[in-house]
Amino acid sequence: MNADEIDTQIRTLAAERRLPPSHLARWLAMDPASRAAMLDIARVIRLRTGQLMTALETLEEIAVRERVTVAGVLDRPEIRRIAGGPGSAPSRASALLEALRTLRYPLLRKMQEQIRSEVAALKLPREISIALPNELGSDELTVSLRVRSAAELTRLIEALDRSRPGLARIIEMLAGKQ
Amino acid sequence: MKFDLDAVFVEHGCAGYPLATRILRALPRDVPVTHVADARESTRPASGARDPFGAGKRRMVIARRKTPFLAPCPAGSSEFACCGYLVLTLASNCPMDCSYCFLQEFLADNPAFQVYANFTDSFDELDRLIGNARGRSFRVGTGDLADSLAFDSLTSMSRDLIDFFASRENLTLELKTKTGEIENLLAMDPRGRVLVSWTLSPDAVYRSSEHLTAPPAARIAAARAVLDAGYRVAFHLDPLIAYPGAERDYILLIDELLDTIAPKEISFISMGGLRMTPRLRGAARSRFPGDPMLCGEDVLASDGRLRTFTPLRLNLYRTLADRFRKVGAEIPAYLCMEAASVHESVFGAAPSRPAIIGNRLARD
Repeated sequence: MNADEIDTQIRTLAAERRLPPSHLARWLAMDPASRAAMLDIARVIRLRTGQLMTALETLEEIAVRERVTVAGVLDRPEIRRIAGGPGSAPSRASALLEALRTLRYPLLRKMQEQIRSEVAALKLPREISIALPNELGSDELTVSLRVRSAAELTRLIEALDRSRPGLARIIEMLAGKQ
Repeated sequence: MKFDLDAVFVEHGCAGYPLATRILRALPRDVPVTHVADARESTRPASGARDPFGAGKRRMVIARRKTPFLAPCPAGSSEFACCGYLVLTLASNCPMDCSYCFLQEFLADNPAFQVYANFTDSFDELDRLIGNARGRSFRVGTGDLADSLAFDSLTSMSRDLIDFFASRENLTLELKTKTGEIENLLAMDPRGRVLVSWTLSPDAVYRSSEHLTAPPAARIAAARAVLDAGYRVAFHLDPLIAYPGAERDYILLIDELLDTIAPKEISFISMGGLRMTPRLRGAARSRFPGDPMLCGEDVLASDGRLRTFTPLRLNLYRTLADRFRKVGAEIPAYLCMEAASVHESVFGAAPSRPAIIGNRLARD
């Protein structure tokens, strides 16, 4: 396919998906290889409108951050595995967006994984839940207890007390101290 | 004049003001001057311009300000630990073009560079302020909606301001800039009442995002020069941008600063992480699509702004605060637009009330 044919197909897909003009313009402003690679994955995974918009925005930002092309990002093994892998189109679309988000926010993702594994290591009773701030957008940790008796409350508070050093470490991590 | 202007508009009744006379006299001959009955239309975005905000920056409007000049810092909020800063709006917009600048959103509907011919009326407001609050000191800055010195070679406003503030014991003027426009300052005696502050960023941020500004090394050199001329100096590490390698670059910048200016000569340091409303980010990304500094690991914070996710942002604050601490001299420091809990986490102590911080920064 030559560049004109690719652009025609992009416009057709954009019309089918009712892609906002601003996003179509951004797609068409990419280099030819990136335009084509984006078209390819949008078709293979059958991205819906919102997913297509998110993918375009995230890919653009990854490309700017890393000074690479969108085609270069889409050619990475973790993305190719999703595009060519098994599973339904919707599940692959979700996996693609998640993989792109990991590339877009590498330190955030790493930090979230570290903190989640610290939380898991506490092995708290299931009546105690630990909620991390959404996308680590604050340093506030929410600890909730679900109790139905005074004895249960005592047991959970004792469990929390035993986990105090681990919880303190998590709070320090949220404050960027570790 | 170091910044280009495409046109100047003078509102009816302003031509007789000394400021207008000075500007029109100093203006290059090829800049067209138009006299208009009402300047409001001239401040609007140019229809048909590819970049209306950018075009607005090159259109100067000389008008009368009809609302008060003095106000509390608009960034102030009960959710943040504030510094008690007062803002004197003598102009709006800026000829420089930083990709992250909040004016892209704040002045989107009136982007022309406005300068207020009746700016000396603000002196009455300032005298009323100190008259009503005897014993208190105030830090008043002109660098909120405009760079304090960008057009100073054209307007010479700094001379009037320094004259006024030099004779007011309880007022400190803060001229905030990213330029090296200090010629007028060097010819004046501030009598300890004027503080010049520079926003400092590492070279990577300067090259990527701070278009038409003076290089960081030139800002530091200008600070040295005004310090030697009797001014106080301060620095704003704001916005702090947490790009890969930021920690190393900011530390190098701090070292470069402290090689030229001793800690005890610095009145204060402020820090503030890059924060953008989603609308500002959209405008900035659209005007500067290739700037990686606008694509940091920013997430939506509780105040509705996109900020670097908290552990990364707080770690950067703490690293820089530690660097300043290690040099042995306590430089007063505050965080801009951050909660008291963040302040406490970074500096190890709760912040004082805004009025107390404002008082201290004005006097020290």
